[in-house]
Amino acid sequence: MYYFCVAKVKIASIDMFKNYNLHFTLLISFLITNFSFVSSQDIELGESLFSSNCASCHYVGPEEKKLIGPGLGSHTIDKYSKDWLYSWIKNSSELIASGDELAVAVYEEYNKLQMTAFPQFSNEDIDNILAYVQVRPEEVILSSNEDLIDNVSDNSFSSESIFVFITSLIILFSCLLTLIKAKNLLKISRGQKPINIFSGINNFIKSNPAIIVFFSIFVILFCLKTIWDGLLTVGVQQGYQPTQPIAFSHKLHAGMNGVDCNYCHSGARHSKSALIPSANVCMNCHTYINEGQISGKTEIAKIYAAIGFDPETRTYIDNYIQKPIKWVRIHNLPDLAYFNHAQHVNAGGLECQTCHGPIEEMEVVEQYSPLTMGWCIECHREEKVNTDNDYYHEMNKKWVEKYHGEDINVNNIGGLECGKCHY
Amino acid sequence: MIKKKKYFKSLDQLKENSVVSKIHEKEFIEKLPNDLLSMNNTSKSDSTHTRRDFLKMVGFTTAAASLAACEAPVKNIIPYVVKPEEIVPGIANWYASSFYDGHDFASLLVKTREGRPIFLKSNDKCSLGGVSARVQASVLNLYDNNRLKNPKKNGKTISWKKLDEEIIFKLKKIKNENRKIVLLSSSIISPTTNEIINQFKKEYNSSHVVYDPVSSSGILDANKIMFGLRKLPTYRFDLSETIVSFDADFLGDWIDSGHGRDYAKNRNPENKTMSTHFQFESILSLTGANADFRSPIKASKIGEALVNLYNIIALKSNNKIYDVNRSPNQEMLTKAANSLWKNRGKSIIVSGINDVNIQLIVNKINQILGNYDKTINLSNFSNLKQGDDNDLLNLLEDLRENKVGAIINLDVNPVYNLSSAKDFQKYLKNVELKISISEKMDETASLMDYVCPKNNYLESWGDCNPYSGIFTLIQPTINKLFNTRQLESILMKWSKLGLDYYSYLKSFWKKNILGDKSWNTTLHDGFLNNPNDYKKLLELSQSEVSDIFGKNGNSVSIDSSIKKVLLNNNQNSIDLILYSKTAIGSGKFANNPWLQELPDPISKTTWDNYLTISPRFAKELGLSNENTSNGALNGDVVSIKSNNISLEVPVLIQPGQAYSTLGLAIGYGRKGIGDAAENVGVNAYVFMKNFNSYQIVDEIKKINNKTHEFACTQLHHTMMGRDNIVKETLLSNYLKNPKSGNPELFLETHEGPQKPKNITLWNEHDRDVHWWNLSIDLSKCIGCGACVIACHSENNVPVVGKEEIRKSRDMHWLRIDRYYSSDMNENIAESQGKSTIRKFLDMEVPSKSENLEVVFQPVMCQHCNHAPCETVCPVAATTHSREGLNHMTYNRCIGTRYCANNCPYKVRRFNWFNYSENDKFDFNMNNDLGKMVLNPDVTVRGRGVMEKCSMCIQNIQKAKLEAKKQNRKLSDGEVDCACETACDTGALVFGDVLNKKSKIYSETKNPRSYHLLEELNTKPSVWYQTKVRNK
Repeated sequence: MYYFCVAKVKIASIDMFKNYNLHFTLLISFLITNFSFVSSQDIELGESLFSSNCASCHYVGPEEKKLIGPGLGSHTIDKYSKDWLYSWIKNSSELIASGDELAVAVYEEYNKLQMTAFPQFSNEDIDNILAYVQVRPEEVILSSNEDLIDNVSDNSFSSESIFVFITSLIILFSCLLTLIKAKNLLKISRGQKPINIFSGINNFIKSNPAIIVFFSIFVILFCLKTIWDGLLTVGVQQGYQPTQPIAFSHKLHAGMNGVDCNYCHSGARHSKSALIPSANVCMNCHTYINEGQISGKTEIAKIYAAIGFDPETRTYIDNYIQKPIKWVRIHNLPDLAYFNHAQHVNAGGLECQTCHGPIEEMEVVEQYSPLTMGWCIECHREEKVNTDNDYYHEMNKKWVEKYHGEDINVNNIGGLECGKCHY
Repeated sequence: MIKKKKYFKSLDQLKENSVVSKIHEKEFIEKLPNDLLSMNNTSKSDSTHTRRDFLKMVGFTTAAASLAACEAPVKNIIPYVVKPEEIVPGIANWYASSFYDGHDFASLLVKTREGRPIFLKSNDKCSLGGVSARVQASVLNLYDNNRLKNPKKNGKTISWKKLDEEIIFKLKKIKNENRKIVLLSSSIISPTTNEIINQFKKEYNSSHVVYDPVSSSGILDANKIMFGLRKLPTYRFDLSETIVSFDADFLGDWIDSGHGRDYAKNRNPENKTMSTHFQFESILSLTGANADFRSPIKASKIGEALVNLYNIIALKSNNKIYDVNRSPNQEMLTKAANSLWKNRGKSIIVSGINDVNIQLIVNKINQILGNYDKTINLSNFSNLKQGDDNDLLNLLEDLRENKVGAIINLDVNPVYNLSSAKDFQKYLKNVELKISISEKMDETASLMDYVCPKNNYLESWGDCNPYSGIFTLIQPTINKLFNTRQLESILMKWSKLGLDYYSYLKSFWKKNILGDKSWNTTLHDGFLNNPNDYKKLLELSQSEVSDIFGKNGNSVSIDSSIKKVLLNNNQNSIDLILYSKTAIGSGKFANNPWLQELPDPISKTTWDNYLTISPRFAKELGLSNENTSNGALNGDVVSIKSNNISLEVPVLIQPGQAYSTLGLAIGYGRKGIGDAAENVGVNAYVFMKNFNSYQIVDEIKKINNKTHEFACTQLHHTMMGRDNIVKETLLSNYLKNPKSGNPELFLETHEGPQKPKNITLWNEHDRDVHWWNLSIDLSKCIGCGACVIACHSENNVPVVGKEEIRKSRDMHWLRIDRYYSSDMNENIAESQGKSTIRKFLDMEVPSKSENLEVVFQPVMCQHCNHAPCETVCPVAATTHSREGLNHMTYNRCIGTRYCANNCPYKVRRFNWFNYSENDKFDFNMNNDLGKMVLNPDVTVRGRGVMEKCSMCIQNIQKAKLEAKKQNRKLSDGEVDCACETACDTGALVFGDVLNKKSKIYSETKNPRSYHLLEELNTKPSVWYQTKVRNK
């Protein structure tokens, strides 16, 4: 049952990053649907609140680990009263200004770095977060790992099963041959005539030439089809999942933290290229977050090495020779094809996921779509033109007459023409 | 008993145990060079590897290589570490800047992609300075692999620091020894550069000598005499009803290249009036080709003709008349004079001859006609040419007398472009300190002690004051590519002003020019009109300025001028005119392969200079041109001698040229500045004595058994009978009937005469999105070729080189056809009483008449709506779009060339080779630097595919997307079609004809509009408009 609940939360959290006013809807839906699991529900809700609001500055766990602020767990939380925590989280600077001793102590300890105020949190929210923090929810992590493992075995099943099927066929066939051989030996020893299956087959074929013709045609066609299919996959890199110089997790950033795709890939709405973010965009958050949940400090340190940032002093190193990061390009269109992100994302209004798949679930990004011309064309046949755009205003008057008010697809306005993508 | 015949290769073979029989036993005579294969070079003994090993190795490596090829290569994306705010990869940035190279000035917009300048267009906000072909192509000079990359001392690389120290030390020494330090430059139009030069002059007591290789000293000196102002006026061809030019190629290279725009404004028949243009010239120039009345005239007779014209006007205005022989062109002169007189104050007369006396007579005529302050404006003077030929002659004298201790070349090349270059070179050896500031190791720089590499203008800051009231800025659009400095910084460093020219420029502008205007706004716009403080900057005081500008000049006597001009009138001389071509100009950009391959507008010849000669004169000298079987042109070679210098030059017969006059283009014969310029043509500057483009030939001799191979893109054709390619009419006829010259075409059918569009096999296309059309007004097209270069630059059109051009394999997507026609017509023939056969013969063959008419016609893919190419493509690589474009899909093309065969307009170009990354075509696409100029939105075509004009579909798509992104309608004129953008005269109009308010829609409805080869009923999307001559 706990498991089921986890799955629910996962789905909710995916929706969450599309939806910005999330907390209350989520809260209400949970209260209605899962009323019976009060204690665990608190933790789950707390987790989602934590990951979208607190995780960038706080580590959760039993160890004493400092990110920007203190690592959180029962060892840190239990020192303070609930009321104190409420007022601290809602507005720490107020508390410090009031001269609260505990508050001033924390403020001093963390180099007078002020914690972001969260006045939007209700006491209940804070309770949920604290519940999550106090119970280090290892199960959550475990469960997601299991998911991963399941997926892997799922993927490998199909190819393995063919292999198993063929091997068992061979074994069966050799068993059959051994049986016949043994039976023949028996028959010879008894002085009987042995069975010759091959001459039997021979005779059968000789008497039925049509079968051999059909069989040959079938074999030839099968081979041709296999070769054809093989050739069609030449240059298609669907599923290409190279190792990147920095083990960047889209699952963590886009999925769990709900960072908008356009925040980093800022070109997608404006330019033909979606753009890999420059290191200074990473630094918007990673000036403060120098330790990650998955790979600790090692991967984030690579950004610092590129841009020349000293995480100890939190300053940029003067006269540093910056080292650009050599990302491995996953989606490779041939040079002869022109693709423009802005046309699709901005004018066409497509979601990133339409072509790139569930990026927010990918730990390591892979090429989701085949990126073949057939695949492009397929979509251009079906996708509707957004005739509300003023650009189409004049044309649409004619179209309404011509197509009797039916939807206009991309191919109606020349979306299948060669020259639209090849020039 | 021989059973079988025996064949043998050598007698040795018949002997037993001979070498030959041993050879027989082996497959290869010598052992395979196994050592090489095994990489074991140390052992001289026989290797243990056998042939089989070799095969194994070959087999294994082949298999390994092909296996490895199955894997797609890993590609990287390398984002900025810190992305500059204004750059979004994939989106172009435009910056306003200016161009000035000592000859042309242009106010520009520079298109950059990911920080690389890739395309230039004219800054339309700024009304002055058009973008010519040469300016358009200057973006490629930035990526020239032959640019200097480091400072040099005697040919060896040296650091800037060391160079500065050594030079400053030596300059101080020379200054203390009281020897001359000379700065040598071409005209400088930058106020700050002038200021820095003044600082330098103060610091080292040096002098500054200015000379222009293509000099306008004659006009400057004449204006000095007449107006007390040594400046060039600005000419308003748009306000002139009558234009008379004596050998001034003002649409080509005369003074600056910005005249086309003004000229075309008054060449629009829709205005009901047009200017009348008379051209008296010796060679057929671009300007002459556009003239209404053109009269070929021997160069040495131009003075005589001018005096005759003066006399007619003087007679009308009661001025003094001079004794002069009647000119052979008297009839035309009278006509011109009458027209000038009729349009007093609205006329203009100019001459391109660099002679102060001729210019004085020209000034006088203009003065009598009252053209000053109306069509010729000295109050808005031009700074583009300031050179004083006498200063340079004095410098040579000083050099000869060994008075000069140091010479600093500021981006000039006297060893190449002085007629006395040999002397200069000789005297240079005596100079203690020789410095060149240059972009290239050119002819002069290679003789210098120190060579300081200079930034390209696209890497520099700067300012210009091209015309008195206008100031423009130059801003860098790319970081420095090499270890270079800008000229100003170098001089500043030596005059102890530091290196920061940008701050210097900014503070200078704030102090002297900007007034209350903002620096950022000015930088954004690129120019500033009539700033409050500008007059302070001029050499003249305020009162002087108004004093001079108010008057119509002094009444200078021209008696002595006329005497001198008539003295030069040599009856039987052979004259030589040294002209500059629209592409190469003064030769500074000779290493630009785009320009080398741009066909000369008149001769249509590329990659060459040659001696042009009139057909009659050629015949007399026994010279000929011949077309080989594949259409390539061959010509005889002659040796000419002038001023005791001989050169061997090929001869190109040029109809329309005056008898007994030869033409030779300057700017060729460069040495050591790069492969594209190497061994192309001969250096004609050696003949240009006293900076005079007009010289006398002492001797011309045919060199027997020597022919020269030309790369000519078009042969001489006559237009007789082919009404549907070029159509023309006269203004008087046009005013009576707007359809004159462009009558409706009917074809005979069994149902009677029908318009071609009514007899068609095909259905009409659906047109409900856009319908892109292009219209070309033949009246406005002056044939300058800027569109051809713009197309090259925008569409990554490859350069193919001379050999390929000779095989008619040029890749220009857009060509300008030049048609000659005889100026003979039936009326003239009848009035001259010619027989019928004679009449038609003279009408057919223009070369029979010394004079001819010229029409320029840009031809690109016509984007036929019933395209013959589309129906024959076996793989549907060329298809028709909903928006009226004829698409060409390179990746689909298999190269059958059926389409090119079926195209009636011959606009399709086939890639016979890979032109990029191919050492056989060692132009810009063969090195990493040169490739930076490529437009990333357009594919670089590979071998074996067809290509052609796409109407810049990348820009159409871009403009549409911008509109969609901003949720608005696409407005007219938003799409940049490269050729249209480059067209200064407005001859080309591009747009969507479905938009009824668009300019193109009204053009298609123009009664002058017609389709090329309309009878074929291909229904092109390109329109032409009848050429109207004002005769």
